[in-house]
Amino acid sequence: MTPETAVVQALNGISFGALLFILAAGLSLVFGMMDVVNLAHGAFYMLGAYIALTIVQRTGQFWLALVLAPLLIGALGLVIEPLLLRRLRGRHLDQVLLTIGVSLVIADLIGLTWGREIRSIPFPAGLDHAITIVGGDYPVYRLFVIAFGAALAVVLAVVHRRTRVGALIRAGVDDAPMLAALGVDIDRLFAITFAVGAALAGLAGVIAAPVFGIYPGMDVDYLIYSLVVVVVGGLGTLSGAVAGSALIGPVDTFGKVLFPQFALALIFAVMALVLLMRPTGLLGRIRIAR
Amino acid sequence: MRRFALPAVAVVAAAVLVTFPIWSSPWESSRYATGILRDMLILGILALSLDLLVGSAGMPSLGHAAYFGAGAYAAAIAGQRLGSDDLLLGLGAAILVSAFLALVIGAVAVRAGGIFFLMLTLAFAQMVFAIAFQAADITGGSNGFSGVRRPMLFGLDFNGPDALFHLVAVVFLLVLLLAWRLRSSAYGRALIGLRENERRMRALGYDTTRLKLSAFVLAGAIAGVGGALQAYSIRFVSTNDVGVARSVEAFVSVLIGGASTLVGPVVGAIVVLFIERVMPSYIAFAETVLGLVFIVFVLAARQGIVGLVRASYARVRA
Amino acid sequence: MDENSGAERRAYRLTRRRFLAVSSAAAALAACAPAATPGPSGASVAPTATPGPPLKIGMLLPFTKVYAELGNSMQRATKLYLKQKGDALANRPVTVIYEDEANDPVVGAQKTQKFIDSDRVDLMMGIVATPIAYAVRNAIDAAKLIFIETNAGGNALTRTTTDCKPSCKSKYIFRSSFSSYQISYPIGEYFATQKGVKEVFTFVADYGFGNESAADFTSGFTKGGGKITGSLKAPLGSADFLPFVTQLKGQQTKDIYSFFSGTDAINYIKAWTQLGMTASGYKMNGAGFLTEQDVLKEVGDQANGATTSLFWAVTLDNAENKAFVDAYQKEYSLLPDVFAVQAWDGMQAVDLALQAVKGDTSNKDAFIAALENVKFKSPRGDFEFDKETHNPIQDIYIREVKVQSGQAVNTIVGKVARVTDPGK
Repeated sequence: MTPETAVVQALNGISFGALLFILAAGLSLVFGMMDVVNLAHGAFYMLGAYIALTIVQRTGQFWLALVLAPLLIGALGLVIEPLLLRRLRGRHLDQVLLTIGVSLVIADLIGLTWGREIRSIPFPAGLDHAITIVGGDYPVYRLFVIAFGAALAVVLAVVHRRTRVGALIRAGVDDAPMLAALGVDIDRLFAITFAVGAALAGLAGVIAAPVFGIYPGMDVDYLIYSLVVVVVGGLGTLSGAVAGSALIGPVDTFGKVLFPQFALALIFAVMALVLLMRPTGLLGRIRIAR
Repeated sequence: MRRFALPAVAVVAAAVLVTFPIWSSPWESSRYATGILRDMLILGILALSLDLLVGSAGMPSLGHAAYFGAGAYAAAIAGQRLGSDDLLLGLGAAILVSAFLALVIGAVAVRAGGIFFLMLTLAFAQMVFAIAFQAADITGGSNGFSGVRRPMLFGLDFNGPDALFHLVAVVFLLVLLLAWRLRSSAYGRALIGLRENERRMRALGYDTTRLKLSAFVLAGAIAGVGGALQAYSIRFVSTNDVGVARSVEAFVSVLIGGASTLVGPVVGAIVVLFIERVMPSYIAFAETVLGLVFIVFVLAARQGIVGLVRASYARVRA
Repeated sequence: MDENSGAERRAYRLTRRRFLAVSSAAAALAACAPAATPGPSGASVAPTATPGPPLKIGMLLPFTKVYAELGNSMQRATKLYLKQKGDALANRPVTVIYEDEANDPVVGAQKTQKFIDSDRVDLMMGIVATPIAYAVRNAIDAAKLIFIETNAGGNALTRTTTDCKPSCKSKYIFRSSFSSYQISYPIGEYFATQKGVKEVFTFVADYGFGNESAADFTSGFTKGGGKITGSLKAPLGSADFLPFVTQLKGQQTKDIYSFFSGTDAINYIKAWTQLGMTASGYKMNGAGFLTEQDVLKEVGDQANGATTSLFWAVTLDNAENKAFVDAYQKEYSLLPDVFAVQAWDGMQAVDLALQAVKGDTSNKDAFIAALENVKFKSPRGDFEFDKETHNPIQDIYIREVKVQSGQAVNTIVGKVARVTDPGK
């Protein structure tokens, strides 16, 4: 690998990591802040991609899709949380089964509505060209993705750390009855948090789908990626998703071109290795309560 | 007299099950129905083995198909490499390989709990999938392993669909028997103790890590037996057999049917397979139905089908 | 229990009678109505007053999971063909039973058993994924069920192999699609001998099909005097193709031979464009699926100039193809793809063989002989089965992607005539 190629691969790895972060952020939010295992995350991602596909087909407006798809998926999340998930607080196994069910329904309905063809979203005009880096073309969209991922991380961190909402949600996870006693509508808070998590998944669908593609079964594939990122990075913190994607992105990128025989298993091997050394993930904090 | 009622019913039911191909043969589609029932029993074996972990010990594994598929590959490869049709050899290879795999993976995985355990088991299963996919010289890779030899035992040929069904049904009943004995044994109760309160078990002097690992290996070995039976059934092993979808299939079967009950996992396997494999011939939205079933059960029938039946039975009696 | 089976049998007979009544009425009507759409060349049968017994065809195709589009395409072609024939072949009303292979050999095996034991089909068609074809080959052979494979291109399915691993041919199995060899070897030889290409770098999907294609291309290319300078593999279903294309750009050989299909092909072509490979002098080549219609409709002109080999292109200029494309477009408002052609030709082969045996499928050997002898003009050109292997003997076209009338299509720039699979 020449130095030029290595630089480009590094950019590839970082931008792949950024895509992984955008993909996993919603899952990390819901899991870290609400202690809810949402295995429908991949289905929300898939739905976001298909909605974006329709919007781009009808209007040609990628940016409209970027706003509308997350809103719609967020609305769906706002309905699902109180309707289905509220009574399952703290019951992880039940959440797993329920969200698998939701995922199956959404994926099948997508197939019945949009059909099961292989689709793709073109890169938006303005971001579909290349600029010259180390003497060669590099796609602007990947740089956009890095910037977007970074911005998203900052926004989420600020909301989490600095705002009252963030503090309330953290408190709600630790001690919900206390918060309720203080007059906070914990149910509404959790519903909104779940909706934001869902919206983030939908957002990822718009941003990542032009790179990853749209096909039947994409919900499972990208759910697995999200889970790996969140677990590697560490549950219980938002920065975990950043850490997880920052590690997996470059490792997977370099790993699969340098060691193609292990390409399939690479991210799982990394995950197992990380968990062996740090059982709660890179930045995870040990949960005391059971 | 009443003491013998339940065992008698059980024996009769077992006999009815094992002889299904014989008494159903006048039906037009009986051969096909035999195949479907056989697949349900195999998934039932896998689900029963998973229930040891999920139901009894409270260890939610989402990577259990790794041992199922490993058993399938082991039986198939052993039969071919050693040029033998011997059933005991195939089953033995399956148990050895799947138990060993479970030991290696379990040694790492059982150190974690809850969601981490879930993820680790999934990760390791995906690694097993990758190995099966890549090691094409041994496993056939993405094209699968074809030409699995028909099993024979002391001269008895299990190749025909009826004979194979008898074999699967007998093994299934043996696994069910094992599960039943485990539930009432000290070991089984210790596993339940693990699920209820692991810290207290430790305080009581149990080596909980050893306990968990032993459950993991036992569950893996039984899953391997199921895998071997599937390899003999369709005489083919594919990477799907170690895949995520197979693991999830088993997982949801346990939960739908009723975790930590004796027949729950089996009932769940029957329902799940029926919706996944039989319904699509008649409706286009079988997956939606499956998803809705999961949702409804979680919300309305937490204890699964068996729990639902018990509850309504109790209500009727009251 | 006896009551049960009796009722079932009675119900079955009643349905058949009802079916016969309906279909004979339909046939009579069709005999009076003028021909609506032009059928493929070859004898077309004017329905007579007394149709033969119903013909049941079991079609195993993917309708869910990643290959669903192929299944839908083949179903469309099958339905269109039957519609043109008044839903009858050789005077026998046809029922097609569709089942989902769901990309799982266990499901494929179960549905095959359903065709054999429950539906009692007269013949079976379909199967997209090669592992599934390999998994059910023995069951089909043992049941003496005549099976037309309409996609899976695993070489072994129509070859003599040691111990039938991973599979082997069967006298009951015919293939109306291709063998992976046919779309990979000839272009290798063509590049070395006709195009004067000296060096090629291969980049394929790391699974059975991709590896077979790379191996066969390498054979053909090196036999013609060419040199393979290196190879790269991407896991099947890779999320990100940019790292791989970056590696391609980091090496000197300009001609890249690839095997990808579906989403992988789309993502590969997009990554290729993003890194400006063509502008930097690199040339994309591959087996036909890399640039088939399902891919081109999504990447548009990004694949312009790509050279691939396949036994068909939508622009193929013969009467049958024009008629087929027109009819398909009129019916479905879609351009057909090669998968539709494969199913279409399968149906036509069955049709002609049935006519040759006057609709009598009870004599399997006669029907097999009839199939072996079919020769017709298909949208892909002259179609016939190799009597040894039951794989098609067909022209392999060298195609180049161009935009015509606003749509990206494959245009024919060369041909390797009458390619047959070596059979071992």
